[in-house]
Amino acid sequence: MTLTAAAPPKQAPRTANAGRRRSIWSYWRFYLALSPFYLIFLVFGLYPVASTILLAFQKWDGLGPRTMVGFQNFGFLIEDSTFWLALWNTIVLFFMSTMPTLAIAMALAVMLHSAVRLKGVYRIAYFIPNITSLVAAAIFFAAVFSTNFGLINAALRGLGLPTEDWLGEPWGIKIAISTMIVWQWTGYNTIIYLAGLQAIPTEQYEAAKMDGAGPLRTFFSITLPQLRPVVLFTVIMSTIGGLQTFTEPQVMVGNNGGTGQSGMTVVMYFYNQAFFNNDYGYAGAIALSIFVLVLLFTAINWKLLGGRGRS
Amino acid sequence: MELSRRTLLAGGFAAMLGGTVVGCSSSMDTGSTKKNAGGNIALWCWPGGLGKSVLDDTIAHFPDQHIKYSEIGGDFKQKLLTTFNGGTSIPDITGVKGEDIASLLPQATNRFVDLKTIGADSILGDYLEWKVKQATTLDGKVIGIPIDIGPTALFYREDIFTAGGLPGDPAKVAEQLKTWDDFLAAGLELRKANPKAPIVADAVDLYGTIISQGTSRYIDKDNKFVGDQDHIRKAWDIAVKAITTKVDGKTLGGSPDWNAGLDQGTVPTVTGAAWVALDIKAACKTSVGKWRVAPTPSGPANFGGSFLTITKSAADPAAALEVIKYMLSADNQAKAFADAQIFPSAPAAYDKPQLKAADPFFGGQVPIEVFGPAAKSIPIAYEAPLDGAVAVPFSDGLKLVQAGKKTSDAAWAEAVSKAKQIGKRQGVQ
Repeated sequence: MTLTAAAPPKQAPRTANAGRRRSIWSYWRFYLALSPFYLIFLVFGLYPVASTILLAFQKWDGLGPRTMVGFQNFGFLIEDSTFWLALWNTIVLFFMSTMPTLAIAMALAVMLHSAVRLKGVYRIAYFIPNITSLVAAAIFFAAVFSTNFGLINAALRGLGLPTEDWLGEPWGIKIAISTMIVWQWTGYNTIIYLAGLQAIPTEQYEAAKMDGAGPLRTFFSITLPQLRPVVLFTVIMSTIGGLQTFTEPQVMVGNNGGTGQSGMTVVMYFYNQAFFNNDYGYAGAIALSIFVLVLLFTAINWKLLGGRGRS
Repeated sequence: MELSRRTLLAGGFAAMLGGTVVGCSSSMDTGSTKKNAGGNIALWCWPGGLGKSVLDDTIAHFPDQHIKYSEIGGDFKQKLLTTFNGGTSIPDITGVKGEDIASLLPQATNRFVDLKTIGADSILGDYLEWKVKQATTLDGKVIGIPIDIGPTALFYREDIFTAGGLPGDPAKVAEQLKTWDDFLAAGLELRKANPKAPIVADAVDLYGTIISQGTSRYIDKDNKFVGDQDHIRKAWDIAVKAITTKVDGKTLGGSPDWNAGLDQGTVPTVTGAAWVALDIKAACKTSVGKWRVAPTPSGPANFGGSFLTITKSAADPAAALEVIKYMLSADNQAKAFADAQIFPSAPAAYDKPQLKAADPFFGGQVPIEVFGPAAKSIPIAYEAPLDGAVAVPFSDGLKLVQAGKKTSDAAWAEAVSKAKQIGKRQGVQ
């Protein structure tokens, strides 16, 4: 983006010393070449976002006329216990899935970084879950966690442990959903960490070795600090993705989030309000709240991890 | 060359810009009733919504109408709403699913043709009255002709019933299991003999069935919330009784456990619409011929069943109605049943040979002997546009009782207050 902005002034003197207005218009070809992205963004990005914001202040059933209702939708939102429950579920699911994902991904990346043989095979194997169809995977996980004929309960029975009604218990639902998210995203983050690891200069490791640092000390004093920007990137990407969890709970426990609605996430609640209850205005208000939530979490992460500026 | 490339780019740019502007302006125009071009009829339905042979036959039968059928997959209602708001390419005839019709009725007059104004009166009597009522607005406009219905029955495993000391013959089952109380009592007996076969697959599901057996639901015609009244509480209490007497399998319909249980005998009964038979058949490999059909205890209910409607954009509504009349005649409904198990909404079809066939999956029983009478005696209940949304807290509450997380009374109180709040958001008193 900075490149394109810098280009016109550089060339300006060459194309005749005309007035400013004319010089802008004489670059119409460049702007035209740039325009497809902006036009598509305008139509499929900016316009929907703007109309969602407008919708949040309206009442609309999807077919009839829209009426302005001011802040009424937000008033309902504050009183709506289901919304707060969905918010709580989303945040809990976010922590339950993101933390293990990133920890496992880091461990795997360090191991892959030092392993010599079959590196490519491992990389592909870890990445495959990320490109597997979400719905297919969710159906598979629902089967794995099912009560009578599920793999996990079969294993528990085999070990002589009591079985659990995973998808019928509030916490069981959360564990099942986050397990699936961990399975899906660990490989993706591993690949990113691995790329980051490969960019750390080997001299630093050699120097550490000379000073007698063990593998743990090396990891915490060199690897982790050097990876800080990469970690920040993965945390922000996981935040944006994790706070919008939808498909996993929808396929595994249904549109209402299962027992105690403990699989109901904010995006699912938004979807239900818009596409089942035809309450598009209220759904718009929920969508705005997700936006604010993601912004808030990203800001917190930025402060926590990016405090010392770019490395 | 250079010139043509430049023109091409500029042309594309203009076309895109033009498209955007047109797209925006027409979406603002919510009350648009722009007519489609005459000479052909655009027909929309979802995959499997209409029998293939009937559809092909109808298209051939009206060569002058040039019927153009589009099969719309995915979220059908959403795509229809989007097209309505877009204002162009609106179909002349469109299917509307049974679960969506109630939410479309308030806007019916803006988008759909009142079929009574174009001469549908003469054929409305051919279809089941309660089903036509679902597509009728409070002020009497009819916007859809029913394609099919979903009358319920009790599907059960004859082998497990007889082994558990219950009658196996459908007539005797009907005799003994007249009400839900009889059904739960039979469940207790079955549990003594076979603790692994709870007679209720899912108490929450049972609750939904009982609600649909009634003549009033959560919101009445005056837009008043009645979900806290006796008719709902009674259904709730029966479901809770199934849970507390431990005849509830807690097995969600359609889940992997349910599918496996149907064949293995841990789900010995299913109370469901005629089309549920397809799911049961798909899940069963070893229990073929062991299933039977009996009337639903405490009377029939209906789940699903869709409509064909004519939009305000239709170039020639009268011609469109002729197409619908032909396609949904009793003869063609019988054909569609033979084709794709689309259960007829015209009772005259129940006497056709296609429906009289014995089904080896049900041990040679003739299912229409149960479903036919059921279809004719389904109660008429007013379903408010918000009904589905208000029902959710009740089934959620029962799930908590089922999981042992809440007492029945506490869950009930919470469900009622949540349902009232959802109603309040949309102006229900």
